[in-house]
Amino acid sequence: MLHYVASRFGQALFVLWAAFTVSFILLQAMPGDAIMIKFQNPDLGLSPEQIAAIRASYGADSPLWQQYLHAIGNIMTGNLGYSIQDGVPVSEQLATNLPVTLRLTALSFLLAVIFALAIAFAAHLTEWAWLRSTLAALPALFTSIPSFWLGIILIQIVSFRLKLIPVINPGEWQGLILPVLTVAVPISAPLAQILLRSIDDVKAQPFVAVARAKGASHSRVLWRHIARNAILPALTIAGILLGRLLVTAIVTETVFGLDGLGTLTAKAVLNEDTSVLQAIVLLSALAFVLINLLVDVIFPLLDPRLGRKIGATP
Amino acid sequence: MGALALAATVARAEDAPVKGGTLIYLEQQPHTNLYPPAGGFYPNGGVLNQITDKLTYQDPKTLKIEPWIAESWTVNADDTEYTFKIRDGVTFSDGTPLDANAVAKNYDTFGLGNPALKLPVSEVINNYDHSEVIDSRTVKFTFKRPSPGFLQGTSVIGSGLVSLATLARPFDELGKATNIVGSGPFVVSNETLGKELDLKARKDYAWGPKTLAHQGPAYLDGIKYIITPEDSVRIGSLLAGQADFMRQLQAYDEKQVSAQDFPIYAAPTRGVNDGVAFRPDNALVADLRVRQALLHATDAKEIVATLFSANYPQATSVISSKAAGYVDLSAKLAYDPDAAKKLLDDAGWALGPDGLRHKDGETLSLRLYESPPQPQNKAVLQLLGQQWAKVGVKVNVLPGNAASAVTDNLDPQKTPAVVVEVGRADPDVIKSQFYPKNRDVLLQKDGQSAKVQNFIDPTLNGHLEAVAAETDSAKRLADAGTAQNYLIDQAYVVPIFEEPQVFAGAPYTKGIAFEAVGRPSFYSVWLDKH
Repeated sequence: MLHYVASRFGQALFVLWAAFTVSFILLQAMPGDAIMIKFQNPDLGLSPEQIAAIRASYGADSPLWQQYLHAIGNIMTGNLGYSIQDGVPVSEQLATNLPVTLRLTALSFLLAVIFALAIAFAAHLTEWAWLRSTLAALPALFTSIPSFWLGIILIQIVSFRLKLIPVINPGEWQGLILPVLTVAVPISAPLAQILLRSIDDVKAQPFVAVARAKGASHSRVLWRHIARNAILPALTIAGILLGRLLVTAIVTETVFGLDGLGTLTAKAVLNEDTSVLQAIVLLSALAFVLINLLVDVIFPLLDPRLGRKIGATP
Repeated sequence: MGALALAATVARAEDAPVKGGTLIYLEQQPHTNLYPPAGGFYPNGGVLNQITDKLTYQDPKTLKIEPWIAESWTVNADDTEYTFKIRDGVTFSDGTPLDANAVAKNYDTFGLGNPALKLPVSEVINNYDHSEVIDSRTVKFTFKRPSPGFLQGTSVIGSGLVSLATLARPFDELGKATNIVGSGPFVVSNETLGKELDLKARKDYAWGPKTLAHQGPAYLDGIKYIITPEDSVRIGSLLAGQADFMRQLQAYDEKQVSAQDFPIYAAPTRGVNDGVAFRPDNALVADLRVRQALLHATDAKEIVATLFSANYPQATSVISSKAAGYVDLSAKLAYDPDAAKKLLDDAGWALGPDGLRHKDGETLSLRLYESPPQPQNKAVLQLLGQQWAKVGVKVNVLPGNAASAVTDNLDPQKTPAVVVEVGRADPDVIKSQFYPKNRDVLLQKDGQSAKVQNFIDPTLNGHLEAVAAETDSAKRLADAGTAQNYLIDQAYVVPIFEEPQVFAGAPYTKGIAFEAVGRPSFYSVWLDKH
């Protein structure tokens, strides 16, 4: 077990280093840079000599390998650098923006799971074929709704027509209702789809027939026998969904004017704010690594077969 | 008689400003940097105009310069020495005095920059040499060469006065609004970076421009800026009563707002008109006949009628018809596709079977980056491209937020044309836009770009220098006219429309004013009962 944890930890570190290095190279390869975008702005009326002096003061003209070592040294000591565009430390930006996104994505993910479970189980429990096919068609609809459109429609109806929730100056939790709904709907779609499919697959397995033959009720079979097995593929997808969650959050944050990681990313990309982007890349890599680790740990708990060693032992 | 007097009293009671309340202002973009000379960016100017005062006040209607923090001034005969008498008792919100010394330090920074702190030179101050504090209320500025635009320069958004503590901060720290200490009617009380900004009225404010009817502190208790990037959300919230005022109303949304009797405010920016300028260093547009052809192939009337509203007048010169020094050049800007075709034929660009012009194996195809701050710029450029296509010229419109936009726009070989616009209510604005040491949109040799091979136009630069240095104001306006004529005769620029800043407010939001180039002033705003 110790060996397993150590090797997973080593892998995680490698992934983080690789993500940092690759993003560093890619960002350097782009034409222009943050200093140029900020100071070349004609509103400032700087002369080329002044811009050259500013570049020198940022150390932007030192050799690339020096900049790389400098950046990686900073990261090791927990210094994420300075946002050139905003003139504030990156750690300060993350401190304001990260909690917003964490709250939005965590709540949305929770709601998405609830939606997915509700759709999948309702579809399997219902007696009516028309309801079953309607519910089964929902994920396809949900996944094709663009999140910015859904956000704007929700605002138009709930906030402007019905005047139920203000978008401007809402209460802290009140302001999360519509954005969470906007993110949860498209995220629930793949989860529900996988659940529906895997329930079908598991249903066809012999042990289900055995359970039915023993006289277990329809819902008891679904909950006790099928659900535990059907949830495994959905869990794997949940780990992968993180990326999509972040992308949906970017759009949603813009529509609702939320100041989260998504808004920060979009702005940093436009301004080629390298330190901000690198911090976000590192953070996302870290989140991916942690979530996959979590999925790997949960898997054997849900399916004892995975915990056992299978095959011939030497 | 009595009834008349009564009616008058009632009318006055209704018009009497209501004190108190917080204005909810929806801004499209967050501010970037609040170093006053960076106030040209609208969101920056929209904040700076509330928290800083200026040495002088430019009447937005007459464009006359009037006293503000300076109660009087004298200028020597050749405009090289300006002496200002500073109003007594003005303080910054940190309690320090706004005296001659503070004014001197502000202008030393704006005029010379502060390389150690990365503070750049202000583009509105030309030929600055040094300041001299004569006594605590008198300051004298000396210039290396005549600087007739300086007086107007002391009234603009980029010349807001800030405390010595603010000037001592490096440029990077001025992105944080709470670091900006001014003497204006409002003070920044709280900031959520990129999302919200709270301003609070200063109760002891007593030094607004003397010519305003409103004196003393602001009527509002405060202002809440909320960054709302999405157009439909800004408009919807305003109409639904969730906000009181908003910036950036697109022309296609105007009907929706006016249909509900919400007032629309179109503030002119009084500078160089929205249009396209050429880079003659690029061989494709080096020939005057090609540039003239493109000028006459442009149907500005169609662009305005298709995409905009009555708030966007068709351009009739390089600068706005409401700008100082404007001359009407509409006769030279006529839409004439036949003349355009003939000019291209004469220049040797023959029409090929693909409908495009070719010469020596080259196609007349121009790359042009969209400029996101300009209204509906992508649509404008696409329509312009369709018009130019009719005479056989292809336009490639590239996305303005592309990473390569900044570098490519400095390379005349990659961008033979560029979008222009800049606001300032002084003839100096022409120089700001075209002079090689300023914005240099034509890209001349020894200007902003090291990529320029040959192009330089000493005649143009001479005209621009004259505008910036002529001391006789009548002659200076004539010089501005000469510069406009020259720019159009050389077809360096294709003016399209006069760009306004369009705002909308709730019917109960009263007393909105705009400074000369369209930044809102909330000093006299009050919220009527609703």
